[in-house]
Amino acid sequence: MTDQQWEILKKVINGETVKPAPIGFIIDCPWLPNWYGIKILDYFSNDELWLKANLKALNDFPDVIFLPGFWSEFGMCTEPSAFGARCTFPENEFPHAHRVIQSADDIDNLPQPNPKTDGLLPFMLNRLKLAQPKIEAAGHKIRFAVARGPLNIASYLMGSTEFLTTMMMQPDKAEVLMKKITAYLKDWLGLQMETFPSIDGIFLLDDIIGFMGEEEFRNFGLPYFKELYSPNVSVKFLHNDAPCKVSAPILPEFGINFFNMGFDVTLNELKQATQNKVTLLGNIPPRDVLASGDNAKITSVTTELVDSLKDKSKVIFSCGGGMPPNVSSEAIKTFINAVRK
Amino acid sequence: MSELIDRIGVCVERGKVNIASPFPNDMKGQEGADELTRQALDAGVKPDEILQTCNAGMQRIGERFSKNEVFVPELLMAAKAMHAVMAHLKPFFKSGTVKAKGKFVLGTVAGDLHDIGKNLVAMVVEGNGWEVIDLGVDVKTPKFLDTIKAHPGCAVGLSALLTTTMVNMSKTVAEIKSNFPATNVIVGGAPLTMDAAMKMGADGYSSDPQGAVAFLDRLSIGG
Repeated sequence: MTDQQWEILKKVINGETVKPAPIGFIIDCPWLPNWYGIKILDYFSNDELWLKANLKALNDFPDVIFLPGFWSEFGMCTEPSAFGARCTFPENEFPHAHRVIQSADDIDNLPQPNPKTDGLLPFMLNRLKLAQPKIEAAGHKIRFAVARGPLNIASYLMGSTEFLTTMMMQPDKAEVLMKKITAYLKDWLGLQMETFPSIDGIFLLDDIIGFMGEEEFRNFGLPYFKELYSPNVSVKFLHNDAPCKVSAPILPEFGINFFNMGFDVTLNELKQATQNKVTLLGNIPPRDVLASGDNAKITSVTTELVDSLKDKSKVIFSCGGGMPPNVSSEAIKTFINAVRK
Repeated sequence: MSELIDRIGVCVERGKVNIASPFPNDMKGQEGADELTRQALDAGVKPDEILQTCNAGMQRIGERFSKNEVFVPELLMAAKAMHAVMAHLKPFFKSGTVKAKGKFVLGTVAGDLHDIGKNLVAMVVEGNGWEVIDLGVDVKTPKFLDTIKAHPGCAVGLSALLTTTMVNMSKTVAEIKSNFPATNVIVGGAPLTMDAAMKMGADGYSSDPQGAVAFLDRLSIGG
């Protein structure tokens, strides 16, 4: 992200009106590799291709704020790998991590990972370090410390069904797990911030929030998110594209100021639920509209979204969720034109 | 006796698995679905009556879930309580005293390890009187085909959470329909819509477990 884009982002978050209307997308492995014309495995295993794919997206769409920008990741394997999860990398499909906790009794024995040395994290960080001169030469900076959220990681380590039922049946064990994961994530985010002083934002992705009721979330989610978002940075960004009606009114309590949601709620509803305290990144349907290949549909749905907003402040136009696979450059251009016409 | 039966239904609805479970908070220390079912059977309650009260309990929690009054953890706990009951009733299914509505083969498609939706559907469908054959996650097409072959007349459910694995789901549906055209297939999962389900040739789509039960109950298979 360039200095100018970063300033725009901060202005929007501060409630200032920005012209032209700001547009942003979360981009990572579900979209970038195939859009760039390479296999997902190549994207993960070849640092040069990873950098080129990211730079091409930024250069092709200089008006778009891509988030988090130069996300060095290995899909869902990233954070669980440090706990020793077996990681499966199909050639051109998303990688996935296998669970490491077979029962709640295993939680106490789960090792506390060291992000400097464990799993795929050193590879992620080193890839960014090696690329940093080229990223900066291209006019960009590394702005975000990024991680999957603690509930999401707990679900990967244990299985989502098992984790959610452990929460209800053995709440003390679930608490131990959440504390371990949160400590690990604090270390991991801290290491990223220490390595790249240009980082001034925290980005967490966690869609397990969407499966929980308010009471469970207040017990098993909120305290940990608050802790993770506590560092003093300008942008505190959360992605949850699972249902968010329950969590929306609590979003300001997280300490976040920027949110990417799904498309089951309207931006107007979210503005009301969050008392317009949180900037919204959204939210046309990503798969059925943006990836549909139907430009007329993209234009009409996007126009409807823009026109529906009584108050366009604190909004960055995007899709509801991250950029899905198979979105063409033409579709992105159509979206930009529709927002800015 | 009827009070005992009602209590089993309440335990299922509230997700009270057994006496040791601290959930729900207001039933802490009380006997749960496990203990009460054992007592009911010992007292001569017919397994059919127990199953009926459980189905009613699952129906009630399912409706509350659809209205956003309860959420996935509560639904999972209800299903877990239902499981505790079913563990006692299983011998009666095997002996034919209790007849299942039919067989339902279920799995998350190849490349997808997400199990929450699939597990919810499995538990709720089973709680509604179907025999569920759960193939797990990351299930390749041949495994579905082999299982359908081994269980003629079964219905099939495919689950996916990832957008990318929808492609695999589509392939699996096509293979099933090509090899077993009469087999009813229902699909579900976050990236799906009814439109996408119909395009891939599925017979049904549901965004929640209750919808899957409604779809299955409409089928004539299994009586």
